[in-house]
Order: sequence, then C-alpha cells, then structure tokens
Amino acid sequence: MEHLAYVAFGIYTLIILTGGLMAVLCRSMVRALVGLILTLFGVAGCYLLMAAPFIALMQILIYVGAVSILILFAIMLTRAPAGAEEAPYIFPWRSLAALAVAFLPLAVIGGMIRSGQVAPLVPPEEVPLAELGQTLIEPYLLAFELISVILTVAMAGAVILGFERRIGK
Amino acid sequence: MNIPPELIHISIALAAIAAFIGLNGLVLVYLERKVAGFIQRRPGPYEVGPWGLLQPVADAVKLVGKQLVRPKVADPWLYWAAPLLSFTPIFLLFLVIPFGPTLTGMEFNYGLLLILAFTGLNVLALCLAGWSSANKYSLLGAARSVAQSIAYEIPLLLAVLAIAFQFGTLNLTEMVHQQGQWPWQWNIMFQPLAFVIYFLCAIAETNRAPFDLPEAESELTAGFHTEYSGMAFGLFFLAEYAYIIVVSCVAVVLFLGGWQGPGAPGFWWFLLKVYALILVIIWIRWTYPRVRFDQLLNINWKWLLPLALVNLLLTLIFVKI
Repeated sequence: MEHLAYVAFGIYTLIILTGGLMAVLCRSMVRALVGLILTLFGVAGCYLLMAAPFIALMQILIYVGAVSILILFAIMLTRAPAGAEEAPYIFPWRSLAALAVAFLPLAVIGGMIRSGQVAPLVPPEEVPLAELGQTLIEPYLLAFELISVILTVAMAGAVILGFERRIGK
Repeated sequence: MNIPPELIHISIALAAIAAFIGLNGLVLVYLERKVAGFIQRRPGPYEVGPWGLLQPVADAVKLVGKQLVRPKVADPWLYWAAPLLSFTPIFLLFLVIPFGPTLTGMEFNYGLLLILAFTGLNVLALCLAGWSSANKYSLLGAARSVAQSIAYEIPLLLAVLAIAFQFGTLNLTEMVHQQGQWPWQWNIMFQPLAFVIYFLCAIAETNRAPFDLPEAESELTAGFHTEYSGMAFGLFFLAEYAYIIVVSCVAVVLFLGGWQGPGAPGFWWFLLKVYALILVIIWIRWTYPRVRFDQLLNINWKWLLPLALVNLLLTLIFVKI
C-alpha cells in the first residue's frame, strides 16, 4: 500500500502542476479558471494522502463547489467572448521575472529543508471529527470567531459596494 | 502481490453502480413518460414493444447513433469536458450510499459530506457547458443554473446540518442504524420541517420542474444543453436522472429510515422508498407550472433560508436538552 501512496502523490502533483500551468498560461479566462479548479482538486487529493478526508471534502465543497463557480459567474457576467483577446504576449523579461519569483520560495524552503533535520516520515493518523471541532472551539476559539467576523465584514462590504453602484446609475 | 480486499470490493461496487445507473435511466424514462401520460390523460408511449416497454431502449439507440456536433466557435476542450464532468462524479456518490445492511460500496465516515461536495460539480459542469457552447440561450441557462444552485444549496446544507447534529455523525450507515423499523421511528417524525426544506431544495438542485429554469424549453429552447447532440446530451440526461436518484437516496437515509422497514429490513425497503420518492418528484413535475425566476429566488431567500435557520436552532436546543 505504501507504493500506492507514492503513485497517488505523483498523480496529485501532476494534477496540481498541470492546473497551475493552465491557470497561468491559458489566454481564455474560463480555461484558466478550469486550471485553477484542477489545482484545487489536486490539493484535495494531497489532503486525502495526509489522512485528512474531512479537510479534503471541505476543500472540494467550498473551493470547487462554491468559490470557483462564483468566479465563473463573474466571468460570464462580464460577457467575455469565447476566444477572449488578452494583453499581447510579452515573452522575455516579465516571464523571466515571474519565473524567478515563483521559484524563490521553492529555493528558500527547499534549502531550509535540506540544511535542517528532517523528521522521519510516519504514516499520518486520522483525527476524529469531534476532536477537530473541540480544537476549533477551545484553544483556537478567538481565531475561529475572528474568521467569521472577517466574512461578515466582507459580505457587508460587498452589499455596500453594490448599493453605491446602483445609486450612481 | 496480493490485492487488498477493499480494492476488489470497490471495483465490484463500481461495476454494479454503472449497471444500476444505466438501467435506472431506462426505467425512469419509461416511468416519467407513462406517469406524464396518465396525469395528462393520454396513453404515453405504447408503440414500441408491449405497453411501449421498449421505448427507452429505442431512444437510447437513437441517442448513441446520432452524430456529435460541436459549434464552430465553441471552445473545443471545455465543450466536450462538460458532459463528462457532469456524469463521472455520480459513481462516487453512489459508492457511499447504504442500500442495505451490508450493501454499501465503501464505508466512509464522511459519506454525507462526500455526496454534498461532489454534487457541486454538476453546477460547474452545467456552467461550463453553457459558457463553452457560445450560444446565448446556453449562457442564459448556465447563469440561471448558477443563481439557482448557489441559492438553494444554502437551505439544503442547513437542513442536512441539523440532521447531522441530531445524529452526531456524517456516516450514512450509522444514521440508518439510529432509526427504527416502524414508520413512527423514522426521522421524518422528528424533523418534518427539515424534510420539506430538503425535498424542495433537492428538486431545485436537480433542475426539475417546477424549478427547471436552467433548461426551460419554452423560453430558452433547451437552456445549457441547447447545442449538445447525441450521447453528449445523453450524458447530461443520464446524469440528471442519476442525481434525482441520489437526492432521493439521501432523503431516504436521512428521513425515511433507509433500509429499515416493518418485517424484514433489507435493500428492498430502500429501493421501494426511493422509487416512491421519485414518483412523487415526477408527480410534482407534471402537476405544477414552472415558477418565474424572481419567485424562485424569493421562495428561497425569504422562506426556505429563514425556516432552515429556525429549524437548525430548534434542533440544537433539542439536542442539548
């Protein structure tokens, strides 16, 4: 079974990388969004490998099922034509700079991992859902409540923005 | 090299599910047309085979034989990906449904959550289908589909959340175990409001009349699948029927005692209840006219959502006491 985990990890990595490249390189907005969704799926798979099926399913429920659909809705409302014209493709400098920025964290984290002591791999154990909930409402209560405050503020802000635009017309 | 038994179990389950989905498609097409005929006082299909029994087979053969056409301006990748994306998650959904005491494809602690998570993919598929067809009716259908599904998902999740609190688990098999054999021991007796909310939202989520605005044929020709022909349309069609079965199965597990029944508990009770619910859904479709879009959203935001919140609060109070 351990070999299967490696194979699955490879597949998920491939999905994540393909999706990421699609999201960055595709000219059409919707295709780029599909790339983003692929990446989110791959990440959900990685959660599964880390024995966190609850988080994996939540990732799919929230990011794939809700957030990405809202993004798609926003794109459709802008009436972007199917073969949308984006900014012209500038190859040399911007692309190189983007690549450098993308690889910088990789180099930093990779270097740290290689230089420091790496803990031996132990098969992760699944945390029961009840324990997860207990942790959220006991030690991390403040952070948990703050997140809901942020969400409320974001929603209120969206409503206010919508009203202002309507008055402007 | 020894193959783990779970893998064999899941493979057999997947094969059985594929057969079940296909057969169900045939049965439901026939049932839908016959019931529609009965309600509208006409015979329904009766030419092909005895009592028209072979009509769905003839329909299926016609669909498979048709040419697949893609509009010239449509996005070539996404256009073909959409029907597949609509259809493939269904196998996962059926995998966790407990059809009988031992008849479950895969015992999974978060079965309910898995079903909720992967049904969301259907909206995405409809959206991609509508957008990539490069047709204004398709696009309108997709936009309606998003507004509708996102809205109705909230009371649906709240109703289901109340049930999950009540049972204290997300495992569908355990939920059935906590309900008794007799109808008054089923959960619908304790959660009638949640059942009504769930049922309405389920009909809306599966785009069934009277909430079938994403494919309203009198206004949008066929909505999001206007441009699809042959089996590409067939996959959407099959997926729609499969989702109806899935929401009925979940309703049976959450509210109607699953495979529990008077006398001998078993998968026969489960299937009986599922088909009874599907008949009710078909009955509703052919009885009520389609709602208008503002009515659709008003029902949701002004009635179902507050009711679902009240229901959640009441459930929490009862669970605590």
